[in-house]
Amino acid sequence: MTEYEGRIRLVFKDRPLAMHTLARPAHEAARCAGAAGKYWAYHDRLFAAQPRFRRADLLVYASELGLHSDTFARCLDEHRFAADVDRDVDEAQALGINSTPTFLINGQRVIGATSIEEFRAVIEKALRERR
Amino acid sequence: MRTAASYARCVKGLPRRGARSPRVYYSSMWTILALVVLAVGSAPPAARAQVEITWSPSMVKGPTGAPVTIVEFSDYQ
Repeated sequence: MTEYEGRIRLVFKDRPLAMHTLARPAHEAARCAGAAGKYWAYHDRLFAAQPRFRRADLLVYASELGLHSDTFARCLDEHRFAADVDRDVDEAQALGINSTPTFLINGQRVIGATSIEEFRAVIEKALRERR
Repeated sequence: MRTAASYARCVKGLPRRGARSPRVYYSSMWTILALVVLAVGSAPPAARAQVEITWSPSMVKGPTGAPVTIVEFSDYQ
């Protein structure tokens, strides 16, 4: 992102896989953090803590980021963003995206954690096409 | 120009009764081909799956007018 600052927009979409039983609450929790303006900080915290995503863990991460504990816990327990996560999953399924991570770079699909060189090549191609 | 009857007589080995002349077969073949071309030509174009990708503003980084958009579908676990 830093390398291409100003030329790239990154959109994160939830695609918790069914076999990852702890992923779903983590995705909902991240959206709760997002509602308090801390989506990306929480996102980074989750990846750093992977896969410790029990409820107590999720509350600790929120607290570490200075989020209001009660508000966050209520958001999580009420599954306030469940429908939003569902919508992302539906979109992924409609696109045939069944493995993670999957990237769409100006529509071009890149599946899996590929090398930085491959990413650069796809991004550079997309930039050339937009000139 | 030969008539259909005289043409049939020119084809050796064909039984006189119960067999159609080659002209009848060619005619049928052209009719079927014309129908296939007509059917293909008038068929609506195949529907292309279009999926509208939505996003939450809090889950986006980078400027709106950026020339490249990366949509990442990911799983935290």
